[in-house]
Amino acid sequence: MRELNDVLRDWEAVIGLEIHTELTTLKTKMFCGCRLSHDDEPNTHVCPVCLGLPGALPVPNRGAIESIVKAGLATNCEIQRRSMFYRKHYFYPDMAKNFQTTQGPVAFCMHGRLGIEVAGRGAAERPECAFGASEAESLASASANAAGLSRAMAEQLPEGADARPSAGGAACGSAGGAVCGSVGGSADATAPRGSVGAEGRGSGALAVPVRHDDGSYEATIRILRIHMEEDAAKMVHVGGEEGRIGGASESLVDYNRCGTPLIELVTEPDLRTPEEARLFMEKLRRIFLTIGISDCSMEKGSMRCDGNVSLRRRGETGLGAKTELKNLNSFKALHDGLAYEICRQADVLESGGVVRQETRHWEPSRKRTVAMRAKETADDYRLFPDPDLEPFDLSDEFVEHCRAEIPELPDAKRDRFVRDYGIKRPDAEQLAGDPATAAFFEESAAGLVGDAAQTVANLVVNDLAAHLKASGSTLGESGISPTQVASLARLLAADAISSNQAREVLEAMAGSGEDPEKIVDERGMRQVSDAGALQPIVDQVLEACADQARQYRDGNQKVIGFLVGQCMKASHGKGNPKLFNELLRATLEG
Amino acid sequence: MSENLDSLTAAQIASGVASGDFSAVEVARAALDAIDSRDAQVRAFLQVTPELALAAAEEVDARRAAGEELPPLAGVPFAIKDNMNLVGTRTTCASRMLETYESPYTATCVRRMLDAGCVPVGKANMDEFAFGSSTESSAFHPTGNPWDPDRVPGGSSGGSAAAVAAGMAALSLGSDTGGSIRQPAALCGVVGMKPSYGAVSRYGVVAFGSSLDQVGPFGRTVEDVALAMDALVAGGSDAFDGTSRAVEASFRAHVNDDVAGGRVGVIPELMRAPGLAPEVARAVEEAADALAAQGVELIEVDLPHLDAAIAAYYAIGPAEAFSNLARFDGVRYGYREPGCPNLAEQSAKSRARGFGAEAKRRQMLGAYLLSSGVYDKYYYAAQKARTLIARDYESAFGRVDAILMPVSPTAAFKFGELSDPTQMYLSDLFTISINIVGNGGVSVPVGLGADSGLPVAAQLVGRPFDDARLLSFARAVERGLASAGRGLAGAVAPLFAGKGGDLA
Repeated sequence: MRELNDVLRDWEAVIGLEIHTELTTLKTKMFCGCRLSHDDEPNTHVCPVCLGLPGALPVPNRGAIESIVKAGLATNCEIQRRSMFYRKHYFYPDMAKNFQTTQGPVAFCMHGRLGIEVAGRGAAERPECAFGASEAESLASASANAAGLSRAMAEQLPEGADARPSAGGAACGSAGGAVCGSVGGSADATAPRGSVGAEGRGSGALAVPVRHDDGSYEATIRILRIHMEEDAAKMVHVGGEEGRIGGASESLVDYNRCGTPLIELVTEPDLRTPEEARLFMEKLRRIFLTIGISDCSMEKGSMRCDGNVSLRRRGETGLGAKTELKNLNSFKALHDGLAYEICRQADVLESGGVVRQETRHWEPSRKRTVAMRAKETADDYRLFPDPDLEPFDLSDEFVEHCRAEIPELPDAKRDRFVRDYGIKRPDAEQLAGDPATAAFFEESAAGLVGDAAQTVANLVVNDLAAHLKASGSTLGESGISPTQVASLARLLAADAISSNQAREVLEAMAGSGEDPEKIVDERGMRQVSDAGALQPIVDQVLEACADQARQYRDGNQKVIGFLVGQCMKASHGKGNPKLFNELLRATLEG
Repeated sequence: MSENLDSLTAAQIASGVASGDFSAVEVARAALDAIDSRDAQVRAFLQVTPELALAAAEEVDARRAAGEELPPLAGVPFAIKDNMNLVGTRTTCASRMLETYESPYTATCVRRMLDAGCVPVGKANMDEFAFGSSTESSAFHPTGNPWDPDRVPGGSSGGSAAAVAAGMAALSLGSDTGGSIRQPAALCGVVGMKPSYGAVSRYGVVAFGSSLDQVGPFGRTVEDVALAMDALVAGGSDAFDGTSRAVEASFRAHVNDDVAGGRVGVIPELMRAPGLAPEVARAVEEAADALAAQGVELIEVDLPHLDAAIAAYYAIGPAEAFSNLARFDGVRYGYREPGCPNLAEQSAKSRARGFGAEAKRRQMLGAYLLSSGVYDKYYYAAQKARTLIARDYESAFGRVDAILMPVSPTAAFKFGELSDPTQMYLSDLFTISINIVGNGGVSVPVGLGADSGLPVAAQLVGRPFDDARLLSFARAVERGLASAGRGLAGAVAPLFAGKGGDLA
């Protein structure tokens, strides 16, 4: 198979993502009062509602509606004032009622967009030919031809056929009550009445990516919709091949997860490279973390991504057959799975074969995708409005209440960090991406700008992050406080310690909770930055290392590093290496 | 004193228990004795619950002994349609599918009747999953009409209606998706009410058509039905049913309100509907006369889209039924076909063997109606028809406070007489439209038909959530008929009256 970048010069990859996010920060399930749980004993958080027992009825979770509206506002979606739940039928024991409660053609959030910045090596995945006028055509034709459940629904199902009898129409369940304004209960086939949020939409309004001199570019990825639904139960097939049901001797179902509030975001097919897909997913995750709707763990499956990808020859406007990739449960898997699948499809097409429309499973260990099931006929889910759930009529107050609760989003925060603290943009981006880290940084760098703030940023982005990774703890668990980091940064800025020593102090801080000043003093680490105190050491080292001194004078500047090392050794690590360097040069050249 | 329990209304039983004329346990024993003596012939019950009844009655007596104030229906025996969950009973929906299914929780409507002091005597027979108008589709046995056991009691709440008509319970609960309370009430000569959609919680009632189903009571007098309504709405909207609404528990308080000056609509065109038996038309006229005699103004109104109601109903009802019954797959509960090699076969065979013919017919129809490409043509069109019918009612209720019409086109028919399902569906013409729209309706017995000698009835239909006023019109009909020596208020079917059930 050819290399990805090579393939993408001849073939255009049209990629769309479907991203499921469990609203893990809520207390209870979507339609009942059962507690959300991840690791508890199977079937301990269940009730007649989430078990789908005869006679049970759903009552919507107001908090979940708030969460999805926030997700929509944070991704520039239009918030649909009027939408409803639908039933999607399929017979499988992971959905206790044999239908999933989800949304129809109109989701709570429609037509959003997110910008991504592609830089570095990954930016090279998009070839030169994929910029400019041809790209505008590509975007328009891809979305015009894209087919999927959401789009098919939007076309086939008229929204607004309110299943409620009008006499009961004005009722709102107590849990969902305050969400609704008045509900007319009319069965008119009217278009959604109102929406708020993003302005223009459609491919016409979409900016075509432009490549900068350094190879980087920005792209705008449109979001078709974000809808609300309930998660299915977890199934374990015992004795089946690779945990599948085929050949299993028994199947176990854990309904703890059944009914967990889940939002599904569907992008337009605007992504063109695996790197763009990865960046979009990363950005979305940062946003969802910031607005606090989920723990967004790809590892634990609280954020899951399926990728749809098809290839077409550069310049073509039709779409090729697409495959849907599953098991993309890390950013790396998302990138590598798509990259493999693009190369595989190119291989099939170039050897005269046909890409089958199917679902494929990414196997990270073997670095390949394998067919799961062919999708030759579309499933008929018999979607219809859920008659047990009133249509939603979101009030201005409700939407504004959600908007007011959205904190500063990562992009705005990054820009503010650059502007107010004067730190480097990539560091600002990394800090702003995680709400806890960003808050930690701001507290540590309070009142600082420029180099001083950058020193704090370096500590947080590099040393602290490395420490957390090594110790497997979170910021909150680490025992390290912003005050300590601020103090450590001051020591660094004053050249009182070296950056290597800073790492040691950090470890000590985490263990003892003591102030860095005290640690440095107790351990006698304080760096000597007094030229008068260091000069004798320099002289002593140059005397002992006459060979290296000669080499330096003969033009081998590199040897200075060895000499600084000898000075550090002689000073028992306390001398300021920068000052040793200066003194050595001055002495050698003097 | 050797009084028979069936000569007492629910109101009289509660007041007798409260004043110590007899104990709740004596009442419960009498009710169980009546069931023993009468139900072998009526077969209204799928399960009789003496332990639950006696335990509830003992609790009432203990509370009275402790000097507590008793709830309004303390000691009143009531029967429960077998699609309602009650812990300690099976909830079978009269289906093989749920033959051994034990209720894991208690439905809100049942809970509220218990909270009002009612004593549960058993679970009543019904058409399987409430699909039917004769209770003949019960997987277990038919139920006889107490007025003529060779005839059907109506359905789908046939057991609930027959239990009250035969004097085995003073009250019962039914559910009404297209007439399933009002039609059996009419055929059995008792009062049956379908409240406005949302007035009574559906939580715990096995769903047939979620947007159509509504729980309501049967009683032998309008006052008893009003008391049961108060019990069902007490406590406000149900947090477990997002479609339920708070309704004031003032049915009994308003039931004897003066109706003079009120306006009741009549629909001349409906009275000429093909298939409407002359004795039934006459019953509706008698009810109209009774109202007019009490100062009610009768006004002709029109519901031009009523004929679309049956078509809309047989699109919406089966579609929702298909969806609601999808959960019965034999995996975790219900009938499971043994020895299947895989899940798909197990689900398919469990459903094929667990469901009866009518249940399968409705689900197949629903599955078809919701399928891609067909949905627009029927289901969506039905929802539009729903709007049109709602507008008809709205416009009529601009001029009148209630509308008078027939319930069932005929008196009770014989077993097997309506063998063509579509013919059975058409018998719902007068009851279906208010399920489509959601407003309330009540069936009031008028007397025995001149031709059949069987109970005939009239139906009053009200504005949405104007159910208390609706009952005051029903009470006026009952009062007017009684003063003319007609009506059946309080009457137990003569074949069974006084048979067992003496209060000790």
